[in-house]
Amino acid sequence: MEIIKIKGLQKKFGKFTALHDVSLSVNAGEVVGFIGPNGAGKSTTIRVLLGIINRDAGDVTIFNHDVWKDSLEIHKRISYVPGDVALWGNLTGGEIIDLFMKLHGGGDKTKRDYLINRFELDPKKKAKSYSKGNRQKVGLIAALSVASDLYIFDEPTSGLDPLMEAVFQEEIEKIKTEGKAILLSSHILSEVERLADKVAIIRQGKVVETGTLDELRHLTRSTVTMATTKDVEAMAKVKGVYDFVKKGNQATFSVDNHHMNDIMAEAVKLGVKKFESVPPTLEDLFMRHYAE
Amino acid sequence: MKEKFSLWNVLFIQYIKRDWKKIIVWILGLGLFCGAFVPAFEEIGKGQGLIGLFETMQNPAMISMIGPTPVEHAANYTLGAMYANEMLLFCGLFAMIISALHVVSHTRKEEELGLSELVRSFEVGRQANSLAVIIETILINLILALFIGGIMVSFGVDSIVAEGTFLFGASIGLAGIIGAVLALLISQIMPTSSGASGTTLSIIGLLYILRASSDISNITLSKINPMGWVYLTYPFTENNWYFLFIGIIFCIAIIFLSFVLEGKRDMGAGYLPEKEGRATAKKSLLSVPGLLFKINKGSIIGWLIAFMIMGAAYGSIYGDMQTFLKSNELISQMFTMSGISLEASFTGTIMMIMIGLVAILPITVINKLFSEETRMHLSQLYSTKVTRGQLYWTTLIIAILAGIIGIVFGAGGLGLAAMTSMNGTSTLNMIDFLAAGFNFLPSVLFFTGLAALALGWLPKLGKVVYAYLGYSFAINYFGGILNLPNWFSKTAIMSWIPRMPMEDFDITIFLIISLLGIGLMILGYIGYKKRDMQERA
Repeated sequence: MEIIKIKGLQKKFGKFTALHDVSLSVNAGEVVGFIGPNGAGKSTTIRVLLGIINRDAGDVTIFNHDVWKDSLEIHKRISYVPGDVALWGNLTGGEIIDLFMKLHGGGDKTKRDYLINRFELDPKKKAKSYSKGNRQKVGLIAALSVASDLYIFDEPTSGLDPLMEAVFQEEIEKIKTEGKAILLSSHILSEVERLADKVAIIRQGKVVETGTLDELRHLTRSTVTMATTKDVEAMAKVKGVYDFVKKGNQATFSVDNHHMNDIMAEAVKLGVKKFESVPPTLEDLFMRHYAE
Repeated sequence: MKEKFSLWNVLFIQYIKRDWKKIIVWILGLGLFCGAFVPAFEEIGKGQGLIGLFETMQNPAMISMIGPTPVEHAANYTLGAMYANEMLLFCGLFAMIISALHVVSHTRKEEELGLSELVRSFEVGRQANSLAVIIETILINLILALFIGGIMVSFGVDSIVAEGTFLFGASIGLAGIIGAVLALLISQIMPTSSGASGTTLSIIGLLYILRASSDISNITLSKINPMGWVYLTYPFTENNWYFLFIGIIFCIAIIFLSFVLEGKRDMGAGYLPEKEGRATAKKSLLSVPGLLFKINKGSIIGWLIAFMIMGAAYGSIYGDMQTFLKSNELISQMFTMSGISLEASFTGTIMMIMIGLVAILPITVINKLFSEETRMHLSQLYSTKVTRGQLYWTTLIIAILAGIIGIVFGAGGLGLAAMTSMNGTSTLNMIDFLAAGFNFLPSVLFFTGLAALALGWLPKLGKVVYAYLGYSFAINYFGGILNLPNWFSKTAIMSWIPRMPMEDFDITIFLIISLLGIGLMILGYIGYKKRDMQERA
């Protein structure tokens, strides 16, 4: 079931066009990683989804409701955590979590206490004395303590230490297995790689690539390191080999995935001593899209 | 409907919880200020007091400051009539400003801080927050109105009866609500929250100045001025309740318009676009003085324009003052008895009040350094070779220069407008006006010193300096009317300085107070050098 449906979304701020053409969908039980450099339009897209800014063109629905006109119908069933959780300085973290749960409705106190414990938050402190990471925890605990069908996270772990990041990832995996839809915008590519089923890459207001990680990986090259008994130099001339670097009888190069068979066949002729093929990381994909 | 206002009640209760301390101070402070001076006025009104005051209040200068009275004969100028005449406009003005700032701080300011974004991700209507804030502010003003009415009637004075006191209170409440709705409207239009509060205050200032001129020249025009509806209710005399209804209809219309505008705009944006900035820094920015000046530029320019307008507003009265003096023998006797012209005595008093206001500017500049500090804007500067002394003294020099230029603008504006309105019949020239202004320079230095002392030792008390300035201002403003005992009026620093051109310049006092101010600055520096920087984590 399609939870988020975005088609041809455009948004202008005055003369500046922030979003040219954003199309994206998120299904139930799916984590979609939304990645892109600063200023590419990730947060703008999310604000349109939340119905707090209005689009100039395109169809944008969540649960088949229009995000601007029926925002409240949608908000009943979603949770949102921004990348920079702003809090009222004179309320305590615990008070704010309770307020957010009340505003959402249907919160679970046991779940809340469990999460406060897991994220090691001191809920009795005034929000103004919280560090960035602690403010982020308040947002996460409030969002995860309520039952929603869609979770929207805009760089949710910024400011969290690696331990807390791991706790967040575990909690996300739990809601994912419950069949909830999750839109995860993040710069921490290892996090997206671990959690996301699908990735959408946005650049200068356009979604330039979408698909599963496997599909995306297929579009790009793997890195091969091999050592041979005969001169490895012969590999340099094989079709589909790029960036060939030789060190003694060992070579490192990148490979177009659809030429993999030819390369293997050629390699066998040289007497393979060692053969390692590393699929591209999300970071490679990312770099490939942005270095262009 | 639901899409617009859903869950506003939760936000409303949340605001009451968050604001209750502020609300109590607001209602008690403003309420007592507006309603509790009855015994003091009773004291002044004894014997011939009311008659004398009635004549004083006929002066166009006074009307332009505090508004008119419907009373035509001194005999009908009761205590109630006087109280409403002298207090209502000012109390209403304060109520308006406080409500306006409150509304901006809970609407656009919250959007800017990113608070609304999270709140709006819940099942919260697009206008729920505005509705919650406006209802909170209306409620506060209603309680304030009842509180003022209650206090005043509790004194049991003959001419101050319930109908009048509650109308008096309600008029102030209306003023607050007008301020609130204006702020709500402007918040939809301006691109930033500071733009919204600045523009709202300018509009309030403009309404005040417009009514000052229409009160003197053509009072019908004051009737179409929202600020006019506040004091034209004339409590204790005509009891014109219908102005309240006009005001209420006006407020409902403005609220409606604001909601329509808000319904169509993006969160965090107004209808006016934000200007695009520079890609590289100008050379003038690249130094400690350059940076500090840039930070303060907006407020300095804003205040200088305000001083100029204020000076010009008071100056434009001079022409009428002459006519007024000729037409009324009693007044002309009152002011010319000791051989001092009305022009000179008015200049002396108004200058004291204006230069008192000029002191706001240096205090603002100095307090700015502390607010920059707590917002951690300076953290990266501390780690460079920039010394604390540089930050401190540069700020002080900017503050003092701003004060001096402020005096030139205020006194100059006054002089220019006065001489123009008198068509060259003035006995004072520009030098006299500027001298009268600079005569009060020591008081500006003194307030600057106080703010600097606070910055150095207890920076959280920086705001208290405004309170003392406000107190001094009130003593000076109402001192002339209230005949305060000498020791009491001397608690305001300006009262120590002779009022030129009415009185002679006193070099000793000039130097002593100036040195006192400079001494405070040096003391402040000692504290600033060694205290911990206070950064909000």
